[in-house]
Amino acid sequence: MRSSLTPLGPPVSRDRVIASFPKWYTPEACLQLKEHFHGHVSAACQRRNTGTVGLRLSKVVVVGDLYVGKTSLIYRFCKNVFDRDYKATIGVDFEIERFEIAGIPYSLQIWDTAGQEKFKCIASAYYRGAQGPVIITAFDLTDVQTLEHTRQWLQDALRENEANSCFIFLVGTKKDLLSGAACEQAEAEAVHMANQMQAEYWSVSAKTGENVKAFFSRVAALAFEQSVLQDLERRNSAQLQVGDGDLIRMEGSPPKSQDSKQPSSLGCC
Amino acid sequence: MEEPPLREEEEGEEEEEEDAERDEAGPEGALGKSPFRLTAEDVYDISYVMGRELMALGSDPRVTQLQFKIVRVLEMLEALVSEGNLAVEELRMERDSLRKEVEGLRRVGPPDSAGGEVNLGPDKVVVDLTDPNRPRFTLQELRDVLQERNRLKSQLLVAQEELQCYKSGLFPLPREGPRGRREKDALLARASNASSSKEEKTIIKKLYNYSNKKHT
Ligand SMILES: Nc1nc2c(ncn2[C@@H]2O[C@H](COP(=O)(O)OP(=O)(O)OP(=O)(O)O)[C@@H](O)[C@H]2O)c(=O)[nH]1
Ligand SMILES: [Mg+2]
Repeated sequence: MRSSLTPLGPPVSRDRVIASFPKWYTPEACLQLKEHFHGHVSAACQRRNTGTVGLRLSKVVVVGDLYVGKTSLIYRFCKNVFDRDYKATIGVDFEIERFEIAGIPYSLQIWDTAGQEKFKCIASAYYRGAQGPVIITAFDLTDVQTLEHTRQWLQDALRENEANSCFIFLVGTKKDLLSGAACEQAEAEAVHMANQMQAEYWSVSAKTGENVKAFFSRVAALAFEQSVLQDLERRNSAQLQVGDGDLIRMEGSPPKSQDSKQPSSLGCC
Repeated sequence: MEEPPLREEEEGEEEEEEDAERDEAGPEGALGKSPFRLTAEDVYDISYVMGRELMALGSDPRVTQLQFKIVRVLEMLEALVSEGNLAVEELRMERDSLRKEVEGLRRVGPPDSAGGEVNLGPDKVVVDLTDPNRPRFTLQELRDVLQERNRLKSQLLVAQEELQCYKSGLFPLPREGPRGRREKDALLARASNASSSKEEKTIIKKLYNYSNKKHT
């Protein structure tokens, strides 16, 4: 039973279960070309030896110009709804999405930031992630200016974080509004930008839902894999070393024992 | 009382300005006027009329005594009326000059700052205090409200998840005998590595505690 694998919460819904490694959108702009989970990661998951990863809340920050469809994208994924009317995000908002990846529970906290200039100083306070967040820079495929601006959005988000600790995605929204040559043209420009940013590129539509689930699955899987690898590395290099504060600690529970005992207790079933 | 002839000349000059009232009523008409519209000329009219009537009373010494007093009262009245009218005239002039000044400023103002707005330094805005949608909260207030909203949303997620746990039978309901409950609690305690897991059952609760620490 699924629930027996996740004793820490209710069962994850079926479409949040990621068993095989999700694929890229285009090989011309992707973070990884491989088709399976990293060997060490698969092995660790099989042995339920993934440390505290299952307890971690990984941060995803979505940035981009106003009106490009950040909120719509997140709502389509988290609530499976689409609203044609525009309601500007005030400051920031967030959703938490729980996954089960390679048998291990994993959660994303997706921060939806406001694109309006006047909220920038508020939203930017949420850019920082404990161990390098996933940064999603969104733009409107039908508005080339919003693509130009992604460079600045990324720069602002990176300023708050260690650049090489982040996964960066570039997402073109409103794919349903373009087709044929216009779409190819817009995507080609976006791929070019993505390569400059060292980002992975995706085209999505919140309206039709096209690629939305595939995209977030990819985000979750890459973030998960990195978390597991970092965890393994940390435990290998400095055994029983205290975590750097990005673990969820219970009051009164020594962090050391978390590192050492968590894996076996997760494998209780 | 020798004033009357003099008075008549003056009246000729001011005729256009004065109300037609007196022309129709003659010197006696002045006595029927509102005291607030009385002019020095009206006072002269009154003294002419009264002087004539006193004269008709003959040279009784009592009349002469009364005549001195009446003259004195009329002089006082004249002083008050003149003074009052002077003050009114001064105020009227001042009003007119202020009016002109306002008009001049209105005409000069606009080119300085377009749209009839007050000329402010750079990075300043004008707030219309009568606009119900005018900006009025500070950035810090918005930050606080957002933080509170995020906190409440986290709590809602915790509650929803807990509810789901009960619904799916993952957490035993209270009536489910003490033994079953203890076993599951023990499992949860081990899994979360908490000494007491009663309060710390769901993942989101832990996540929430964590994110709360970070954002507050
Ligand atoms: N056709 C189409 N319209 C979309 C799509 N996604 C969003 N929209 C519309 O675009 C508008 C803006 O969407 P939002 O998601 O509110 O934009 P946002 O980026 O969150 O804007 P801010 O919160 O101000 O930063 C809305 O009217 C949406 O209905 C899409 O995939 N297709
Ligand atoms: Mg929004």
